[in-house]
Parts: sequence; structure tokens; C-alpha cells
Amino acid sequence: MRESELVLEYAVQARKSLEAQGFQVRLTRQGNDNPSFDDRSAMANAQRGTVFVTLHVSSTGSPGTVRVYTMTDFPAAASAPGLIPWDRAQAPFLELSRQLGDLVQGQLTLQFKGSPRTAQPASVRQLRATAAPAIAVEVSSILVEDPAELARMGTGIANAIARGVAAFRPIYDASPVPGAVP
Amino acid sequence: MTPRWRRLVLGGLAALVVAAAIYFPILKRRVQRAARLEQQSEEQARRELTLAAPVNPGQPRVKTTLFWASSNEDGSLAATNVELPLSNDPVLRAKQVLNTLLAGPVDTELRTLPPDAVLLEFYLLPDGTGIADFSEALAASIPSGIQSEQLAADSIARTLEANVPQVQRLKILIHGQEMETLAGHLDLTGTFVVNTKPTQAPGRLPLTPLAQATPSPTSNAPSAAGKERR
Repeated sequence: MRESELVLEYAVQARKSLEAQGFQVRLTRQGNDNPSFDDRSAMANAQRGTVFVTLHVSSTGSPGTVRVYTMTDFPAAASAPGLIPWDRAQAPFLELSRQLGDLVQGQLTLQFKGSPRTAQPASVRQLRATAAPAIAVEVSSILVEDPAELARMGTGIANAIARGVAAFRPIYDASPVPGAVP
Repeated sequence: MTPRWRRLVLGGLAALVVAAAIYFPILKRRVQRAARLEQQSEEQARRELTLAAPVNPGQPRVKTTLFWASSNEDGSLAATNVELPLSNDPVLRAKQVLNTLLAGPVDTELRTLPPDAVLLEFYLLPDGTGIADFSEALAASIPSGIQSEQLAADSIARTLEANVPQVQRLKILIHGQEMETLAGHLDLTGTFVVNTKPTQAPGRLPLTPLAQATPSPTSNAPSAAGKERR
């Protein structure tokens, strides 16, 4: 199975789990199309009250573990009031992203022993232009001896993401909109 | 053609097909191996051409801290201290430590950068931005994934932080070009924060305190080098 197909399978399972929690879900790709980073962010940025989850399978790392990443610190640029520069769109959401990341990572660690306990910082290109709480979930690894093991992880990953996002909802609802003009 | 000859010809053809089926994978492996060797020798030749100027053997050896992957396999870095006759010139010094980093640790499993990657050039701008220009192999040969790509950038940034305090920020180029990502994940359009401490003269570098200031290698949290936008 190709990595892109496996990731799409994870995404479809995550959608089902999230919908079961009452969330509306939109996938940034339906098949083997490959939208650009900015196209994917644009889809998320066009919605209100969104959280963004990008899924990956790595070539390294301890097999059977899952890591959550949030964007590393970068300063929000001074801009016209109410406007967020596209390439720094994630900056006002960093703290919310960290909270979401820790909640999802906590759920994943319960399912997949050996995974970190908290989300890690990384300069993930996909997260930079996303104006919403955003995390990257990376599964280790494509080099696992039995590829079916990776496919079997899908349900656990989907459920962990859904539970983490559900736990994040009241925090998100209670927080002021980052970057908004008072 | 008599039936006997037809059988002989068909039998011969079948034998050829079987022989080809056996030989083809062997031939494919040989071609792939030859291609790899050719690529490695090209990279080796380029590495020899682009290596920093030979270090003056009379240069005093100083404690040098290099960051490779931790043997804990937890995605963190571990500091390794060696003594090298480093130049006082920050650009030469940066080339020396990065070439040593590229050469890799004794345990090759702990490499953070591909063995065939080459540092083509290193520039230091007056504002403290170090520009490291690597060969295509850095992007092409690194295992794809957020963890491995971040670890590569962290090992470069932290090795520079520990040994070349004049470098405040790091910009990574691939063959002279700005890339959007390293291998599909890590953002290379900005600069990585290397060192926020004030610059000091190379002859009086407090190398040990800088190295000690880095997080413990046994820490479970990989120290993602901070990143800032231009």
C-alpha cells in the first residue's frame, strides 16, 4: 500500500470518528490528487471554528508509535488591524494548537505505547499558513515489517483524534478568536 | 517444421524465458548498485572539492560539541564532545563543524544527515544569518517525515549554536536554491533560530557553557530549533 493511500484511509476513519462526535469534517483530498500546502490551508481558513489535522506516515521512528507536532514559535508580524499575514497565519493560534496537540497526543499515547506524552514542536510547512488550531499527526513507520500493522492502527488513531478534538472543544469555545480586533 | 523440431524450439524458448526471469532481478540489482556507486563517487568527488581549507595542524585543539541522534531512539539529539583544531574564522569554523557533522558518528545508526550529502558552501551575513548550502542529496536521501527532517535541521542548528556563536540564525539552501520543504514536511522558507546570545570574539569562545546550556540528551522532548520568519 502506498503512503498516500494509507494516509487517506486514516483520514476517512478519522472523519467517521469525528462525525460520530458531532463534528462536521472536510477532507482536503478525496483521492490521489495532491493539493498544495496553501490550497489545503485555504480550505481550512475559509471555515469558522475549524481545527486542522494533517496526517503523515514517517520513514523513521519506533514502529507502532504516533507523534503529534505543533508549529514551532514564530513571531506574528505587525500588520493592518484584523489582517493576518498569510505566511504567519498560524502564529496567533500557537497556544491553542499546543493545547489541542497535547490532548490528542495524550489520547494517542493511551492507545500506542511508547508514543510521547505531549505534542512536539516542529517547523511543519503545512501548519504555517493555517489560521486555526492545527496539528500534524505522524505515524511510525512505513518500514514496519508487516504493512497490515499500519492499517490496523487506523481505528485507534481515528478514535484518539476524535476524543482529543472533543476534549478541546470547550477550550476552543471559551477562547477569544486569536487575531480578532476587539 | 516437424513436430519434433517444434517441440525443441518451444522448449528452447521456454528455457530462455526461465533463464531471463532468473537473471533479470540479478541484473536489476547490479544496475542499481552501479548507479549508487556512481552517485556516491560523484558526491565524494564533490565533497573533496568543497571541503573547507585544511586546518592548520598548529591550531590549538578545542572542545567541539556535535549533535547526532540519541541512542534512546526517542527522536532527540545527544551531544558528543570531540577535540578539533578549529579555525577562529567563523565561516571556516562553521564549515569544519558541519563537515564533521556530515561525516557522521561512529555508530552510523545515529546519523542525522544522509552520508552522501555535501556542504557546498557556508556564508555568514553581517546580521548573523548563516547560510548553509547543501547538495541535493540532503533533500533526496533523507528519510521522509517530520521527525527525521526536524532532527536533521536541529542537529545542524545546535552544532552551530555550540561551536560558532556568531551564527544567530540559519538558512538552509539546497544546491543554491531556496526550497519550500526539506523532504516534503519541514519548512525551509524561513530561518531557524540558532543563537540568541551576544556574539563574542572567536578566540574567547565560552564553548563549554554553550554546550552545557543545551537540553539534556536524555530528555524525551526533541529540541526543535526555533524557527522565525524573515
